[in-house]
Amino acid sequence: MLVQFYNVSKIYPNGVKALDDISLKIDRGEFIFLMGPSGAGKSTLIKMLFREELPTRGQIFLASRSIVRMKRAEVPRLRRNMGIIFQDFKLLENKTVYENVAFAMEVVGSNRKDIRERVPEVIKMVGLKGKENSFPGELSGGEQQRVGIARALANRPLLLIADEPTGNLDINTSQEIMELLFSINRKGTTVIMATHARELVKTAGKRVIMLEKGRIVTDTPSGEVLL
Amino acid sequence: MRPGSFLYFLGQAWQSLRRNRLLSLATISTVAVSILILGFAVLLTVNAGQFMNKLESDVEIIAYLDNDLDQSRISDIKRDLLALNGVESVNFVSREEGLKKLQENFGGHEYNLKETLGKNPLPHTYEIKATNPHDVPQIAQRVKNIDGVYKVNYGQGMVERLFNVTRWIRIISMIFIVMLAAAAVFLISTTIRLAIFSRRKEIYLMKLIGSTDWFIRWPFFIEGIFLGTVGGLIAIIILSVGYSSLIDRMDALFFIPLVTNPVLLNQIYLGLLACGAVLGVLGTWVSLNRFLDV
Repeated sequence: MLVQFYNVSKIYPNGVKALDDISLKIDRGEFIFLMGPSGAGKSTLIKMLFREELPTRGQIFLASRSIVRMKRAEVPRLRRNMGIIFQDFKLLENKTVYENVAFAMEVVGSNRKDIRERVPEVIKMVGLKGKENSFPGELSGGEQQRVGIARALANRPLLLIADEPTGNLDINTSQEIMELLFSINRKGTTVIMATHARELVKTAGKRVIMLEKGRIVTDTPSGEVLL
Repeated sequence: MRPGSFLYFLGQAWQSLRRNRLLSLATISTVAVSILILGFAVLLTVNAGQFMNKLESDVEIIAYLDNDLDQSRISDIKRDLLALNGVESVNFVSREEGLKKLQENFGGHEYNLKETLGKNPLPHTYEIKATNPHDVPQIAQRVKNIDGVYKVNYGQGMVERLFNVTRWIRIISMIFIVMLAAAAVFLISTTIRLAIFSRRKEIYLMKLIGSTDWFIRWPFFIEGIFLGTVGGLIAIIILSVGYSSLIDRMDALFFIPLVTNPVLLNQIYLGLLACGAVLGVLGTWVSLNRFLDV
């Protein structure tokens, strides 16, 4: 078991109840869609995985280690097991594609030799070979998201977390990004993706967790048809 | 910290200094102006302090002795004086010496005071220095009670007023310096916060990727030390050039003795330089922590 949520609730200081008694298990190698309308608690759930938010009640485990009871100093190590992909890409505009990907390895203290080997590898994996020296401003939205994915993969994460990764992209580009994420998943990385895009989810045949008002309303296993 | 990472931090700091040239310049100027004002206030205070110390240490008690004392009684009085609490030194001035001094001060060579007066009208005196000039009034009171002393003089009234004035000048200048230092911390940390704010996205990203707080802090600290030191250096260069030219000119003009002790001045300048570096780091620390809380 990779991720476990036990009776997790989150009430923000302003009184908003974002999550209400969520229990959830995610196996290694799964691909999970997290769906639901805005304000259903998708982002809160995702932020709890990398401990940007802590639950008000309940327990969360990653690989059997409690994220909730973890000390502040242990958080960096937790996050090194994860790759995060953002809706707005969050690329550094003044760095090239190569530097953006290398950045993720530099800031966790990887040595230069590893960086020189790994960065071209992941850039090739996401299909951006030849664009190493371009700046984000010179790339299309889909290419920018590929850089974001390459950066998330650089440190060989156990878990890939994607928060609306196709939210800023057109439908064709979104399909391409989905293909990339599926292929990463096939190589063994667990993927959790929050999304609004029903049409992407429908045809995928993956597990779908539907949130509404902070509760899980349906949890459809992979292979079943989503209604 | 591994030597490899230190080089990395140094490189990162240097890159950021170059990329944010305008903000770096703004921080250096802010530090320089703050330290310059602070240094000006410190020099002013040190000089005022020295001037006041000199005024105060000039205060002494003169005890006039009865005219008909024999030698052993005069020695007894000296012993009694030295036994008093807070007395630093006692200097006997015989009536002959007193007249000689008076002759030197007023008479000059063409005018013979002794012959004019006929006989020496002066009493024997003791000049008494207190360890702490502020104790002079109380000591004078006790000196007056010694048998064989018929009068004491220490500039009664004037001395108390002088001490009152110097005490207030010291308090006010300390408050002034503390306020200036607080203003400098505020100003510098605000400027640095601006610089860090422009890079908050990068910091957030580093945190989410799994960077430790110290890994993020080091380049900023190196930057803060550098900017603070350069700003401090500019300030003390302006300050020391200005002050030494002031010393050159003032010497001929005024009776007020300026502080010229090079050791003390160098200590002040080095202190101000350290102040710049410390303010740079402090400002970075204060501003950075808010962004690290992710």
